Amino acid sequence: MAELDPLIHAPARLQVVTTLSAVSEAEFATLRAVLEVSDSVLSKHISALAAAGYVRSRKGVRAGRRTTWIGLTSTGREALREHVAALRRLIDMVD
Amino acid sequence: MESNPLAQNSDDPSSVLAGADQARKRLAAGLRLPTGLHPVLAAAVTVQVGTAAYGVANHAAPGLVVALAGVAVFLGVAALALYQFRRINGVRVDGLASQIILGSGATATIAYVGAFGAATWAAFESHWWLVAAAAVAGGVGYAFGALRWWHAYRLDPAAHAGGASPRVLAALAALACLGLVALMVAG
Repeated sequence: MAELDPLIHAPARLQVVTTLSAVSEAEFATLRAVLEVSDSVLSKHISALAAAGYVRSRKGVRAGRRTTWIGLTSTGREALREHVAALRRLIDMVD
Repeated sequence: MESNPLAQNSDDPSSVLAGADQARKRLAAGLRLPTGLHPVLAAAVTVQVGTAAYGVANHAAPGLVVALAGVAVFLGVAALALYQFRRINGVRVDGLASQIILGSGATATIAYVGAFGAATWAAFESHWWLVAAAAVAGGVGYAFGALRWWHAYRLDPAAHAGGASPRVLAALAALACLGLVALMVAG
């Protein structure tokens, strides 16, 4: 049975991985704009998620600027799926 | 400064899930397709189907050149569209790439295969008006398939975001060119 994942339990971090699940890769600035957080806050979340193997990042270029592209790994997708399933079970229990 | 409008009570699972889902929907809702993508895609597929049918029916070197030129036009248009999508939105969606380059949806696949078969038969029979009509129908059907996928993606982005990676698509494109050459040589 899927359990809550402490790494993505914090709402802000769950938003990061859930948003990334909509794309294959997102530019750091795009993700920051959608989540409406600061560079430093997003960097901390990405670093923690990357250390766990939930996201991967790579340097790239967009419109002549150096950028960082971030994508969810298969491990991250599976972790998200299980965490959401666990949350839904909790909701069902409360309801 | 952190000004997340979706700050939730982390003890309330419903609120947490809703906030995460809203962030995902906000990203998907903000994505834009390059201007004129569907007409341009329809035209590129029309050219590719028409030239491939001509090439298969014409066993000489000019036929091969025409068919490969059609593939080049299609791949050029597809690559430009995907580059523009990434530049405009700051995201890469492999599901979209699979739809545009592979026509991986049922609508696009049926439209393409049907049009290619009809156009090739018509080319062997030298019914050139029918080649053109089948190619146009294939192009329109293919673009309609991409449009349908886009609507489905906007409704449920996570379910439709996945697709073949750029490397796999490049390999498949090269394989398609080789297949076309083999088809013409065998024919």
